[in-house]
Amino acid sequence: MAMTALRREGKRVSTLISSPNLRSSLAPSEEQVSFGVRSISTQIVRNRMKSVKSIQKITKAMKMVAASKLRAIQVRAENSRGLWQPFTALLGDTPSMFFNNTSVLKSTYYIFMILFACFLPKEYSVLLLNCQDYLLISLYSPCLKRKIGSYIFKLHHCDALTVGVDVKKNVIVTISSDKGLCGGINSTSVKMSRALHKLNAGPDKEGKYVILGEKAKAQLIRDSKKDIEISITELQKNPLNYTQVSVLADDILKNVEFDALRIVFNKFQSVVSYLPTTATILSPEVVEKEAEAGGKLGDLDSYEIEGGETKSEVLQNLTEFQFSCVLFNAVLENACSEQGARMSAMDSSSRNAGDMLDRLTLSYNRTRQASITTELIEIISGASALTG
Amino acid sequence: MASNAAVPFWRAAGMTYITYSNICANLVRNCLKEPHKSEAINREKVHFSVAKWVDGKPQKSSNYPFIFLFC
Repeated sequence: MAMTALRREGKRVSTLISSPNLRSSLAPSEEQVSFGVRSISTQIVRNRMKSVKSIQKITKAMKMVAASKLRAIQVRAENSRGLWQPFTALLGDTPSMFFNNTSVLKSTYYIFMILFACFLPKEYSVLLLNCQDYLLISLYSPCLKRKIGSYIFKLHHCDALTVGVDVKKNVIVTISSDKGLCGGINSTSVKMSRALHKLNAGPDKEGKYVILGEKAKAQLIRDSKKDIEISITELQKNPLNYTQVSVLADDILKNVEFDALRIVFNKFQSVVSYLPTTATILSPEVVEKEAEAGGKLGDLDSYEIEGGETKSEVLQNLTEFQFSCVLFNAVLENACSEQGARMSAMDSSSRNAGDMLDRLTLSYNRTRQASITTELIEIISGASALTG
Repeated sequence: MASNAAVPFWRAAGMTYITYSNICANLVRNCLKEPHKSEAINREKVHFSVAKWVDGKPQKSSNYPFIFLFC
């Protein structure tokens, strides 16, 4: 309730503030004043001041709430990082198939890409970039690096510097929040998912979305609703816990066919910063294929398997468990960055409300004083007319 | 080696490793003594709503007010 009221009010105030003729809209113009009324009514300004003041109160309260929620969730998010780290150490984040074909062709691609990145609007430059590209670009031109720097996304594990494993069925798990008023975290994760979707698009390939949270759903519905497979909401009604996320992960595993799951979320860094991040989980078949091809996954053979299980069984269990762990961490990190972003957004909005209040008070006082002066002049001139 | 024998059974019953491990975890939770037991069970509440999408439209969403009642 408070949120919608706030949003409505904020829209009204923002149009008011952004309009160039602020003064004239505050002080009623000539034709609005009925005949015989001499002083200008300050009622409108007073009402506006009252509403701005109450908005400021709300945003301050929301900031406090976000701060306390953040503190609770930050510890859990940081502790949960221990869950995915062993998996990344064992399986790697993304087996590097892109590295095999780094060639002349690739370098011309980079030059094209840099040219592209110069002229395209910001939203598109992210489509072209991944970490590897970013490194190359920063070699080519340091000033470009500054320009594009903020649109780079980081991979979960920096040893594997590529987004691309060439698999057929990609499922992108976009994690977002259910509630708004938290800055740009939802649109960054949506942008990232779109970029991944484009990056992995191909004639015989299939890209699907699994969406967590109301906000990403609202954004992705616009242009890619055909590709949405499952959407999940109301995750944060109770405090997040592993059981919940694992049941959810189970649901996703059962209902979606995939070769690679790519989880997109905002990794918490500090209260004011978060990194859009992707984590990749490969299906057991792909892992096995990769392991046969060698590379980092080839080391899997050096582990001894206990009991009567076969390697594929172990890998399947491992993938399932890995997915639930990584998803748990991702959900926590995203919730944490959400609270952080909300905190800073609410902080700046209460500061804005304060500024607005100052301006309104100034114009209110000025109008008040002007009307007093006018009245005084009228009284004095009337008196002098009588005596004179 | 009881766990070895169990592997094919839960897999054959259509469970994933996650469900299996959740049931095991819940069994362990139920073994706790009282003040800790209800605390641990209350902590692990499951609630979310899922909607499957067919041809760009969400189907009826199903809720999961799901408290583990396996045992």
